[in-house]
Amino acid sequence: MTLAPDEDLMLQVRDGAGEMLGVLFDRYQTPLFNFYTKLTGDRALSEDLVQEVFLRILKYRQSYRPGTPFRAWVYQIARNARIDHFRKFPRERTFEPEMLPPVTPKDSAQEQQEVELLQRALRQLPEEKREILLLCRFQELKYEEIAGLLGCELNTVRTRIHRALQDLRKAFHRLAHCAMQTKAEAAAAENIPPQGGHHGM
Amino acid sequence: MECEQVAQLLPDYLQGDLGLDQQQNVEAHLKRCAECAEEVALWKKLSLLPVEQPSPGSRARFEAMLQAYQAGRSTAPKSHSRWGERFPSWNSLRWLRSPLGRVAWSAALLAVGFISGLYLANSRFSSQDWAALESELASMRQMVVLSLLQQQSAGARLEGVTWSTRDQQLDPKVLSALLHTLRHDPSVDVRLAALDALSRHAGQPQVRTNVANALQDQQSPLVQVALIDQLVEWHDREAAPHLEKLRQSPNLNPAVRQRADWAISKLN
Repeated sequence: MTLAPDEDLMLQVRDGAGEMLGVLFDRYQTPLFNFYTKLTGDRALSEDLVQEVFLRILKYRQSYRPGTPFRAWVYQIARNARIDHFRKFPRERTFEPEMLPPVTPKDSAQEQQEVELLQRALRQLPEEKREILLLCRFQELKYEEIAGLLGCELNTVRTRIHRALQDLRKAFHRLAHCAMQTKAEAAAAENIPPQGGHHGM
Repeated sequence: MECEQVAQLLPDYLQGDLGLDQQQNVEAHLKRCAECAEEVALWKKLSLLPVEQPSPGSRARFEAMLQAYQAGRSTAPKSHSRWGERFPSWNSLRWLRSPLGRVAWSAALLAVGFISGLYLANSRFSSQDWAALESELASMRQMVVLSLLQQQSAGARLEGVTWSTRDQQLDPKVLSALLHTLRHDPSVDVRLAALDALSRHAGQPQVRTNVANALQDQQSPLVQVALIDQLVEWHDREAAPHLEKLRQSPNLNPAVRQRADWAISKLN
């Protein structure tokens, strides 16, 4: 287990020590995988894209320059890999919620239920809003790095993050409202026996 | 402080990047404004979302890819001199000193002269002039690509492949140079880049045929896998016999054979 910074490892990879890429793979495969699953909802595709990212790192390793933050560089590659994939297979673009475990409205702990609602709210955001939240909240990219990645001004990044959060709040509210209604209806249905049916006990 | 002002500060507040004064201002606003406070609460809750784990096979796939890549690289002849290793940027500039590099530069300079001359002589350009200029530029680019693809340095040839992607339509000469590069270039990286460039021109039938044919020449597992993936992406059924032939060949890397099997099942 090496503690060398990502940048040093990448420079070694660039200079021919391909085996050091394994350390970077161990560090980045889970964050990248989560970036893709939360963005696309498709586990198999996400795994393919993670592999593609590492293949591209090898292919383009000569273009890595000393001093470039590796994290920002790798997410640039990750974004491009996804964009290229959807350019080639445009039909797969839609987020397919059925590929993720369903959210059950059963009575679970409140926090668990909130997390589930939040997950669904995130999925309802337009892709570019979901992406920017993922980049800054989960991938620990700095706003400057995100600006570089998206090719926009720093202030635009701030505005976009705020708008994405606003939308997330609205989506979360809508879903929480629906969940409450469903629960209330279920409770009402339990109290009122179905017409013509046997009441049993 | 109003919501609009807070909106500007909120993203930095969330990262803990605000000065003490501004931080206190935002916090005072959050106590009064339920909506903004809720946004902050949601931001914090995002960290509770579960982290999903990739399947255990993912690491093995990566290992196979890395091995294939390294196997491919070790068969490629080393073209870097010691001088080049000490000064990596030297390699990418060296081609400029060669005769063909000079041709490329002259072409580029000529183009600049041509444009500025036309522009100065007549500042009102007609669409015909533009069209003439476009085609002039396209042929300059082709010349540059062709000369770069023949350079000694792999870096220069990579550059040539990249230049070729600037044109929507491939000139037949550039196309055949790219196909030659795909089949015979000594560098794995250049061959892969050529495949990338050619993949944009799937509409041209000879591209598909040549890519399928190139399967037989390749020794590098990495290029073999890239070619297989490309053929699957094109859903090119005519490629199936080529894949079948490849998988029969002795000494084939097991990962490549597995990939070929997968591709055959996809195409049938």
